[in-house]
Amino acid sequence: METNLAAQQHVANPFTILGSTAPLRAPRESAERSPLIPNIPLEDGQQYRFHFDMSKCVGCKCCEVACAEQNNNPADVSWRRVGEVEGGVFPQTQRMHLSMGCNHCLDPSCMTGCPTMAYSKDPRTGIVQHNADACIGCEYCIWNCPYSVPTFNRERGVVGKCDMCHGRLAEGDAPACVDACPSEALSIEIVDVDKWRQEYRDEANAPGLPSADDTISTTRITLPAELPLDAEKADFHRIRPSKPHYSLVLMTVLTQLSVAGFVTTWILAFFGGSEVLEAAALVMLGLGVASFAASPLHLGRPAFAPLAIRNLKTSWLSREILGLSAFGATASAYAVMLLLGTPGVELMGSAASAVGAVSMYATSRIYMVPGRPAWNSPLTIADFFLTGVTLGPLLLAALGAQHGRSLLVAAAGAAVAHLLVETWRFLSLVRSEESERQATARLLSGPLARLFLLRLGLLAVGAVVLPALGFAAVGFGLAVAGALLGRYLFFVSVVPKNMAMPFFERSVMA
Amino acid sequence: MNIKRLLGFDTRRQAYAYGHDPDYGYTSTAKIPERWVPTTCGYCSVGCGMHIGVSDGKAVAVRGNADHPVNLGKLCPKGLAEHDIIAAASRARYPLLKGKKGRFERIGWDQAIETAVREFRRVQSEHGPRALGVVSTGQLVTEEFYALGKLVQLGLGTNNYDGNTTLCMASAVSGYKRSFGSDGPPGAYDDFEQADVVFLIGANIADNHPILCYRLERNPDKTVVVVDPRVSKTARMADLYLPLKPRSDIALLNGMAHILVRTGLIDRDYIEAHTSGFRELEQHLDKYTPERVAAVTGLSEEQIYRAALLYGRAKAPMLAWTMGVNHSTKGTETVNAINNLAVLTGNLGKPGASPFSITGQCNAMGTRETGFTASMPGYRKFESDGDRQELARMWNIDPDALPRSRGHAYPDIVEACVKGEIKALWIIATNPLVSFPNVAVLRQGFENLDFLVVQDGFHPTPTTEIADLVLPAAIWGEKDGTYTNSERRVSKVNKAVEPPEEARSDFDIFMAIAEKLGVRQALYPGWTRPEDAFEEWRRVSKGRLCDYSGLSYELLDRHHAVQWPFTEADASSANGCRPETTRLYADGEFETEDGRAELFAVEWEPYPEQPSNAFPFVFNTGRTVEHWHTRTKTKEVKILERMSPSAWLEMNPRDAKRLGLRPHDLVTVVSPRSRIDHLELRITEIVAPGQVFMPFHYEEKNSNRLTQSAFDPYSREPNYKQAAVRVEKSGPRSTAY
Repeated sequence: METNLAAQQHVANPFTILGSTAPLRAPRESAERSPLIPNIPLEDGQQYRFHFDMSKCVGCKCCEVACAEQNNNPADVSWRRVGEVEGGVFPQTQRMHLSMGCNHCLDPSCMTGCPTMAYSKDPRTGIVQHNADACIGCEYCIWNCPYSVPTFNRERGVVGKCDMCHGRLAEGDAPACVDACPSEALSIEIVDVDKWRQEYRDEANAPGLPSADDTISTTRITLPAELPLDAEKADFHRIRPSKPHYSLVLMTVLTQLSVAGFVTTWILAFFGGSEVLEAAALVMLGLGVASFAASPLHLGRPAFAPLAIRNLKTSWLSREILGLSAFGATASAYAVMLLLGTPGVELMGSAASAVGAVSMYATSRIYMVPGRPAWNSPLTIADFFLTGVTLGPLLLAALGAQHGRSLLVAAAGAAVAHLLVETWRFLSLVRSEESERQATARLLSGPLARLFLLRLGLLAVGAVVLPALGFAAVGFGLAVAGALLGRYLFFVSVVPKNMAMPFFERSVMA
Repeated sequence: MNIKRLLGFDTRRQAYAYGHDPDYGYTSTAKIPERWVPTTCGYCSVGCGMHIGVSDGKAVAVRGNADHPVNLGKLCPKGLAEHDIIAAASRARYPLLKGKKGRFERIGWDQAIETAVREFRRVQSEHGPRALGVVSTGQLVTEEFYALGKLVQLGLGTNNYDGNTTLCMASAVSGYKRSFGSDGPPGAYDDFEQADVVFLIGANIADNHPILCYRLERNPDKTVVVVDPRVSKTARMADLYLPLKPRSDIALLNGMAHILVRTGLIDRDYIEAHTSGFRELEQHLDKYTPERVAAVTGLSEEQIYRAALLYGRAKAPMLAWTMGVNHSTKGTETVNAINNLAVLTGNLGKPGASPFSITGQCNAMGTRETGFTASMPGYRKFESDGDRQELARMWNIDPDALPRSRGHAYPDIVEACVKGEIKALWIIATNPLVSFPNVAVLRQGFENLDFLVVQDGFHPTPTTEIADLVLPAAIWGEKDGTYTNSERRVSKVNKAVEPPEEARSDFDIFMAIAEKLGVRQALYPGWTRPEDAFEEWRRVSKGRLCDYSGLSYELLDRHHAVQWPFTEADASSANGCRPETTRLYADGEFETEDGRAELFAVEWEPYPEQPSNAFPFVFNTGRTVEHWHTRTKTKEVKILERMSPSAWLEMNPRDAKRLGLRPHDLVTVVSPRSRIDHLELRITEIVAPGQVFMPFHYEEKNSNRLTQSAFDPYSREPNYKQAAVRVEKSGPRSTAY
């Protein structure tokens, strides 16, 4: 890192460094003719950016291969991608290609989301950099980026992304992609940050790209003179489910069950303790702690999970982890106090309940990111809370706690509300004008339709019908299965915002 | 994955470190080699200069050579990852002989050579010398082509010898020969930069020759005209795009000539001084009125006028073409129609102005010049006694030892296999089971053979799999020699690493076979390495149009690449400086007997297989930028495979709607010959209604199951395009979800 930053000091006059002896390399004629990188120093309030000329790009993908070679990335890791957009009617067909690395945004959401502060925006160059040493491979930056730029590297267990070849810029060389482009469609420019914040809408948006509003992309795009009105991404019809994230499916459902069950226990204990409640408190605690402890398993680098608490200032993920840890601590204290009959147990219970509720809120906020439109809704908060409020009381009733009837009514009420929320969400996805939300609806009504119906059925039968017939324990089992299936669908049906991709690329699941 | 990695320790950290390469700057340390070896790209005929990075005896990286006159440092996506093919798992490593049970057994080289020679000789003694056929390639180095030609024609004594170049640019060769008296593209890549108007006719350079886009991009004042029935990536580069009906190009070219003659935009002085056949052509063109041409091509009269006037009024217009023209039963004549335009306007031999065939393979040109297939080395004619005597004298042989005519061309070799006339076949560095049209016929022919030898850098390929004997060959990066590119530029190819296991250079294999035949000293006196072949070829080419006599390895090492003709006088006048761009026929003197360019009155005709009720679609084939030919190399490059993992079919939305097809449906394409199942459908306005397009690279979904056995009468090049097909839904939707 330090050497990189030190090297960047030289960017002031990149071409002075070209004077060094370069036996194989002739002077770059193209660079002399039309500089592909700036030859004046950055001033305060400026940063580097990519310029992409869509009217010149022929979709040859040289940039993409050159990038992989520059960074020794395996084939399934693309820091620069080339996509395709098509519109018009033969023979006035418009084929346009997009080449995109990182947009080195003014408001980089990868950076605000990252729980370990692995991202930084270089104060001098504006390059958004990612430090692999600090990365734990939680992939939360991938969810946050509306362009799906950060890429998970399986063999390393960390994420990586385009850093504008800052090391090359520092030596006066163009980034690998810029250098490779035979159409000279890519270049590096200097941008005035404040001015760009006012003007970016005109030049940072293009057909096939998500809106630049989310993060204020700095990439300037020159569009072809004529744009078709019906431009469509070449991969528009190729919607595939996202990664299932099984450990997160399990962890979120179980922590929600645990928190809500715990709160219910506390409320019941308020009306008089019992041995059942003491056992229940331990069960809830056990579930919560076990699922929370298992959660690092979904990380690329589990051993470094504690780093995830570093970014409380901006990352909901850090906040969730802190919240769940605090819940674990206070809930444990409450359970011990309940067993020992220590005074002040109610106070500790209310503290634990409050912390639990807040951490559940934090969990739901993790998913409310612009980069994942189907998640980015208050309905996600409702989904997560109702999951808990259905399962928690149901479990207590199944365990034979007192006020069983009230518990079952509460669970059934929450389940009915949850069914309404799910239906409402589906209808809003169908009616949405946003293509990613529509795509989620297409997944839920297409290849995932059976699972989606099964999920609703399990919820209705497990949390409403069977408990009413007196089978609370069986009902609880089905309701948990329904919740797990629902959460699985939550993960796989989300369609991330992304640039247009080629029609037929074998894509890497994000 | 080990336990450390599972816990989260970055065990691969070192692989992602960065450092400084003295030549190529800041990059991944894994890409900083011990040494950079200069060479020339082994894919297409653009002929880009590059460096292979070698560490520990392995090729670890490739970078474009900024000092190379062709590409100035740029490379296409295939070139940028070319080092990955060297260590591919599917490399051929050992000589393999098919045993009685049909299983390959590893044998030693001595046995392999002995077996090949014994079987060749047995078949020839039983069925006559011409019962042996040889099909080579455009992939070897020139030195190997030169050696192989002598070996086949003089050592093995058969003239049933041709290359896969007949599937590729034979029509350009025939067209040049007919128009100008000799093969040899008159222009240079510099024309892309100097021309004020550039016509790209059936040439999708954005997918097929991306680095030519770079040369074009360097031209600030160009007007680009793209002639293509499909809105290719290249079409979007056009200032004027002419979406003509499939294979109506002769009508368009004649129509343009018609307008040029009518409006006086022709060079009458040039025609008078340097051409023959003008009067016949002028009469012939009468009927190619804009009205008629509009009806044939589907273009508007205005478009035809615009194209003609753009060409006629240009100061230096270029006409470049590739397979859209060549892959046709009218390929040669289409080339003649292109040449007509250049000759009528005197637009050749000067900067920017040329009728320019963009060739296919890296060294298709080398085999055209030295190969001894369609002509004798140095563009010498089999039919010319003078040529025969001259060659015999230089080779110190009896002129009667030289054949008096060319043998079978590639399609006729296949035909002869089917008929049982050819009994043994030697295939070198080509994969006809994927690349030959109507491939079922070829397979049938090969099944008739007594013995099939396949010499290739890769195994298994569909072709090596049916061989009796597989000879493992070194490939690009593993051997020395020269390639000659589309603009006649001879570029050095250097060995960077050793071939895998027992694989040998083709040159060494040819020497071993000659040795076994007992002809090595006679054919290759004192030869030990490719440079010896180059030295002899310099002498043999001296005084010919393709004169290499001033070239040497030392000169090529210094300048990377130099165009022919390059005489000894050119070498001394260059005085160590980089030689200037050359163009042929600048003086208006052609290689024909009377020294005049021949104008040809060529006729547009409908293509052979017209759509019908049963087969209503026109089936067009072509390439995608990520893959090379039959994908033996590029499917081994993971990043290219990810980008383009399998074949697809493009269909216009109007047709898809009519057929009730949806995007990503799996479809079956049926021609009168065969079918391809489960092809993923791309519904797109890239193709016109009534046409479908499919890439030809994929052995798993081989477009050549559907293509026709129809060949150009002059060049014998196949009509790969315009088969009639129908499209049906073949199953549930793909894994698109």
